[in-house]
Amino acid sequence: MSYTPRERVLAAMNLQKPDRVPLMCQFSIGSMMQQLKPSPAEFWYDGDVFASGLVELCKRFKFDGILVSLHGHSPGWRDNIVSFNKLEEGKQEIVFTDRSEFHSWTDLPMVKYFNKPVHKGIDEIDVENDVPGVIDYIPVSQDLYFKIDKDHPFDIFLKLKEMVGSEYSIHGEITSPFDYLLDLLGYEQALISLILNPEKCKEILQKFTNGITVLAKEMCKYPIDAVKISSPFAGMGFISPEHYSEFVLPYESQFIKEIRNCGKHVYIHTCGHIDDRLELMQQSGASGLECLDPEPVGNVDLEDAFKRIGSKMFIKGNIDSINSLLYADDAKAERDILKIIETGKRGGGFILSTACSIAPMVSSERLDMLPELIKKAGRY
Amino acid sequence: MEDFIGRISISIQKGKVDINSPYPPDMKGQPGAFELTGEALENGVSANDILTKAMIPAMGIVGDLFKDKKLFVPQVLMCAKAMNSAMSHLKPYFSSGEICKRGTFVIGTVSGDLHDIGKNLVSMMIEGSGWTVVDLGVDVKTEKFLEAIGDNPGCILGMSALLTTTMESMEKSVRTLREVYPSQKIIVGGAPLNNEFAHRIGADLFAPNPQIAVEFINSL
Ligand code: B12
Repeated sequence: MSYTPRERVLAAMNLQKPDRVPLMCQFSIGSMMQQLKPSPAEFWYDGDVFASGLVELCKRFKFDGILVSLHGHSPGWRDNIVSFNKLEEGKQEIVFTDRSEFHSWTDLPMVKYFNKPVHKGIDEIDVENDVPGVIDYIPVSQDLYFKIDKDHPFDIFLKLKEMVGSEYSIHGEITSPFDYLLDLLGYEQALISLILNPEKCKEILQKFTNGITVLAKEMCKYPIDAVKISSPFAGMGFISPEHYSEFVLPYESQFIKEIRNCGKHVYIHTCGHIDDRLELMQQSGASGLECLDPEPVGNVDLEDAFKRIGSKMFIKGNIDSINSLLYADDAKAERDILKIIETGKRGGGFILSTACSIAPMVSSERLDMLPELIKKAGRY
Repeated sequence: MEDFIGRISISIQKGKVDINSPYPPDMKGQPGAFELTGEALENGVSANDILTKAMIPAMGIVGDLFKDKKLFVPQVLMCAKAMNSAMSHLKPYFSSGEICKRGTFVIGTVSGDLHDIGKNLVSMMIEGSGWTVVDLGVDVKTEKFLEAIGDNPGCILGMSALLTTTMESMEKSVRTLREVYPSQKIIVGGAPLNNEFAHRIGADLFAPNPQIAVEFINSL
């Protein structure tokens, strides 16, 4: 039986084996820029440019699905621009009324606020007024927020549907309440507060969770097959399994349940070392796990992960984008990828992907190896 | 004296900052690193002994536990807080010259890179091992590193990079620094780095965790 790319991904997420291993990696913004060389600021802000780029990259590298890492693009993004300067090729500086931004082909935008508010102390935080009830931003990186336009929060999914129909599996992304907490307090204060003021942390987390649940349920009304939860601070590099059980799991579980009730899949993306908490992550009720970084970036052994959680969750991973794609020679890259395909095929629901996102400087030749190796070794 | 040294060391290892701190729960209401250090000094324990026999070894133990993933970032931050509270009593002894820092460690995350969690932990552990730390922050350009080395003769330099793209900035910075200061000791760290890379760009050491860096600089 022949499968469309979307059917292949859906089968894997339903813990079945399609015709061949599906392929779907997430690009870092830097890697998308490197491959497409667009106007960097427009690629970041303009929903049409971003959507076209996503489709182009999916087709170019024969992926079976598209992860939409940003949503809520505003058609009015130029409204508060004071100046827009083109610097050298692939570099732009935009000055807004409250901040300046440097956009480039290598990375996310770098932002400097003119009057950066300092983080409030946890004791000063008034949960009612200081923690937003409606989630209208994505905390992407240091000082970098992607504003969700309330009138166009999910337009991007409609654009993509228009462009690719039902050919590819489209996934949305939301960010863990734990990230919002770290962003609100600053990571140092937030992590210390888990110990010194756990109850207040939980109040804040619950308020964020309520807002995120609304956002996730709304997102599920659009033509997507799955939602990825970005939760980069929830691994062993940061917190203990006990803190994970107390401050991450109960909150992520709430909207995971809602997303599952909407009939969509949901998977957790936590990079780095997570081997000690695979079973806890499974308790969240998520349908899959992404990343599972192997040594040295993480500590997960794919075969062992399948044994432990593979009967209940699909796995999307786990190519080390740095050591197996970027720095490896062709022979090592091929060896590493083939081993993952073989292990994945023996496991349950499996989507071949880089563990975390594709590092910015990975070449297109290297990415071309992925569909080629799937063709060679990925048939079930 | 032994008793004070042992108790200060335990309070730092456990992250017990002061008597009012609710953490760790099994030490609630007990004096913490702050009170114990004050009392020790009043009872004639020398500032040098407190530093070298209690604080520095305690942070070493914390570093080892963190390396083995038996302690996590929140707990390490509490240990560093406890250490700082003890250190606040020692400030006058540093100014008077009665006790000395081991040297100065300058650290920064390289140009284009904003990751600072790892770098900050390294700063804390190195400070806890008796060094003065000059933290240049994130997105540090070569000129700023050069300036800091000029301002702190004899310092050791630590550089952090978490992105493969900014590893290039690291390489450029190290090569330029080497031209100006050929014998400057440079330690590099960050998740995507390895020994081979450190060697190729001319750094003296790749430290996958703070403890390795502490051992290296204390052996110089
Ligand atoms: C948290 C995080 C972020 C946070 C950073 C918050 C902050 N204030 O630092 C945010 C969200 C802002 C972020 C942003 C980005 N990130 Co990031 N991030 C991470 C993550 C999940 C953890 C890093 C971390 O803090 N770890 C915990 C600390 C304690 O560990 P550490 O940093 O490794 O430090 C330890 C050691 O390495 C060592 N060490 C570190 N530095 C030094 C220095 C010296 C001198 C010494 C002795 C030791 C030492 O000691 C530390 C303590 O043990 C990693 C994944 C990973 N597995 O590392 C990705 C990761 C580093 N990020 C990555 C990427 C791609 C990005 C972005 C480009 C995202 C994007 N979507 O496009 C942006 C870039 C922004 C920028 N220009 O810097 C990639 C890098 C890939 C690559 N190598 O090219 C990683 C590896 C994830 C991945 N894709 O696999 N990130």
